Amino acid sequence: MGRYILKRILVSIPVVIGITIITFYLLNVVPGDPVVLMMKEHISPDVLERVKAEMNLNDPLYVRYMKFIWGALHGDLGRSYKLKRDVADLIVEAFPNTIILSFSAIIIAWGIGIPAGIISAVKQYSFIDNFFMGFTLLGVSMPIFWSAIIMQYIFGLKLNLLPISGFSGPEYIIMPAIVLGWSSAASIARLTRSSLLEVIRTDYIRTARAKGLMEKQVVFYHALKNSMLPVVTVMAIQVASLLSGAVITESVFGIPGIGRVCVNAIQNRDMPLLQGSVMFTVGLVIIGNLVADIAYSYLDPRIKYD
Amino acid sequence: MFVRNKWMVTLLVALLVVTLITGCGSKSASKTPESGEKILTIAAITDPGTGDVQLTTEEYLIPLNIYDRLVEAVTTEPGKSELVPGLAEKWEISPDGKVYTFYIRKGVKFHNGEELKADDVLYTFDRMLDPKTKALNTDFLDMIDGAKERMEGQADSTRGMKVIDDYTIEITLVEPFAPFIACLSTPAGSIYNRKATETAGLDFGVKPELTIGTGPFMLTDWTYNDQVILSANPDYFRGKPDIDKIVTKIIPDAETQRMMFEKGELDAFDCDNARSQIPYFLKSEKWKDHIVSGPRVGTYYYHINQAVKPFDDVRVRRAVQYALDRQLLLDTLYYGTGTIAKGIMAPGLAGYNPDLPGFPYNKEKAKTLLTEAGYPDGFQMQITQTVDSPSTLKLNEAVQAMLAEIGIKVEIVQMDEAAWFGTRREGKLPMYHTNWSADFNDPDNFIYTFFATKNSVARSFNYGNKHVQAELERARTMIVPEERYALYRELEETIVYEDAAWIPLFHLNHLFVVQPRVKNFKVSWNGWSNMPYYEVRIEE
Repeated sequence: MGRYILKRILVSIPVVIGITIITFYLLNVVPGDPVVLMMKEHISPDVLERVKAEMNLNDPLYVRYMKFIWGALHGDLGRSYKLKRDVADLIVEAFPNTIILSFSAIIIAWGIGIPAGIISAVKQYSFIDNFFMGFTLLGVSMPIFWSAIIMQYIFGLKLNLLPISGFSGPEYIIMPAIVLGWSSAASIARLTRSSLLEVIRTDYIRTARAKGLMEKQVVFYHALKNSMLPVVTVMAIQVASLLSGAVITESVFGIPGIGRVCVNAIQNRDMPLLQGSVMFTVGLVIIGNLVADIAYSYLDPRIKYD
Repeated sequence: MFVRNKWMVTLLVALLVVTLITGCGSKSASKTPESGEKILTIAAITDPGTGDVQLTTEEYLIPLNIYDRLVEAVTTEPGKSELVPGLAEKWEISPDGKVYTFYIRKGVKFHNGEELKADDVLYTFDRMLDPKTKALNTDFLDMIDGAKERMEGQADSTRGMKVIDDYTIEITLVEPFAPFIACLSTPAGSIYNRKATETAGLDFGVKPELTIGTGPFMLTDWTYNDQVILSANPDYFRGKPDIDKIVTKIIPDAETQRMMFEKGELDAFDCDNARSQIPYFLKSEKWKDHIVSGPRVGTYYYHINQAVKPFDDVRVRRAVQYALDRQLLLDTLYYGTGTIAKGIMAPGLAGYNPDLPGFPYNKEKAKTLLTEAGYPDGFQMQITQTVDSPSTLKLNEAVQAMLAEIGIKVEIVQMDEAAWFGTRREGKLPMYHTNWSADFNDPDNFIYTFFATKNSVARSFNYGNKHVQAELERARTMIVPEERYALYRELEETIVYEDAAWIPLFHLNHLFVVQPRVKNFKVSWNGWSNMPYYEVRIEE
């Protein structure tokens, strides 16, 4: 297993480099100039050209890229063009907020999604199955910005139960976590249900029942574990995707997370900030996939990594 | 096996819960206001990014409240301003209009306790011109003698600035520059403390404790994309402000801002962020008496690119000027909250000409002009805009319909903001709508900005009247105000009416709704959303 993890880490190095090259190139070929965006309506051609020269933006692409990589290898991701702050500081400041939002959403998503999927599978076509599937269908169908505004209106403005927006205490995370978790719960519930239904119909489950095991034992100890493989894959993707920032939720609820940092960087063509954010997100996705692969071997002993 | 897993799951859940509670809790503890404090809570769509005003051209919330300037432009009544002494008690201008002597107010303290000296002024302006600063606002100071050499890295200091004594500084210009004093009243003229700024280095304007000014508020806390907190400066030279803190929450979503305001979580709501809510607030029994409105010294307009055919023909440009029913647009899209614009300059601006004839809606005249220009059946064209502006889209759609009536088929092209500004800087945007509000109260800030040779391409006007452009340069050096203003009026008439290079629309009012406890909330003379809050009071 150790060798496998090392191999995966080594393989990911060219992936990271490849992605930074692609991002760097793409941001430089699309129209838009970071200094023009800093000046916007107050653009002055003389100032623009002078500041660009001072920021070394007129250097050839490969020179700028090498400078960035050299800095990154020395732990320096540079300073944001627009925000004038250290990129690493911005990421370090924003990421805990994203972790709080993501894990809160994940607790809700998995806490609702997995039980709902299990109950729906065990009680297939019952009222409760239809209810859960309807509830989760609603969650996956509603755009997040819409469900967010509706919840803000009802629970924030009308009922005055929760703060509408901001990030100044535990109560501020409840609504965004529900909004984000609800949409993620839907896919988990549906996948758990279909996967469990498939496993429940297999021969070894029939054997377990024939042995006289209680239904609870059959479902939880024998069927569930084997049905979780596809669910774990989706869960890993969800974790990586949530950790790389839930931009809409962060924007509507005013959460200072990594998603907004990334979007601001793209909007402002803020190369150092965007490169730093991309490298960070790539790292998360690689780790997420690695964890999922390791979880496979735990869930299914037939899967072995050498 | 099961027991081990159960413990692992329990441990994991416990870890997550502890992380969440402590993570949020620690943040909460640092942000809870002390009881009894008078706090003004406002919202901004975007984070200011930096508090170093030399590095920004639009984020002025922090600079307007934590720094002072030698001269201040104060709002005397809605839409009107006056230049008054700020950190300079008084100033003298030499008869040739080139040498300015500023007498610095004594006893003014920076937030770090240091007394303001003339050397701080010299340091601040020289820092702006130092190429290493990468300042974006050098246009406000580049008329100082030696500024060019300093900006190009050929000099280690700015020749035209001299400290006479601790409280006197002399600034010499290359040639007379009439709006110089007005330029110094802009946020870009904010004065820094040499010691604090040098010590802070790159962290000046970023780290609250290192960002020092003389202003009525101090930058005390800043979480990027979350909130900025300014606290009252007890030693402010004009006296401590009535409010103890200004909390600016960064809320990108306008609808969320509105709900927070209605719930009382915000003290003021800027209607510029959600114009569709204006009728609701105007009719609301609860809010209609708490609307604070003021005209902005600014103009909403359509731009035309003369390098794009058929806009190279003045008759086509003139046809578009007459094809717009401005009153209808103002009444339906902006709920009548403004006046029709007839030129470039806005009411309240020095030199404003109230006697321009304007462009009464005349579809037939527009059609005739198109026929004369050789386009009896109209033509196809594009109006461009950024993707994130629904109010601009509404206006563009209405104009699209109006131009269709004279045969012009408009395609509205929505672009990413970066692409839009990038294409505009190259002089290639065919037509767009935007607005301009005064940075300083002088016609130069309106007309030179758009039509000077160096600026015309960067804003995609591609205006080519060399006589006007030469006169614009001359107007800057004229000393007698009345003569200057007369020249600007003449130039405005040429640009708008003879050359048809500008399609004026409106001068819109800026509306805010404030909570009843907020008193003395004034719309800034120029209509900016960022404004000084020194005089605002909170009465519970």
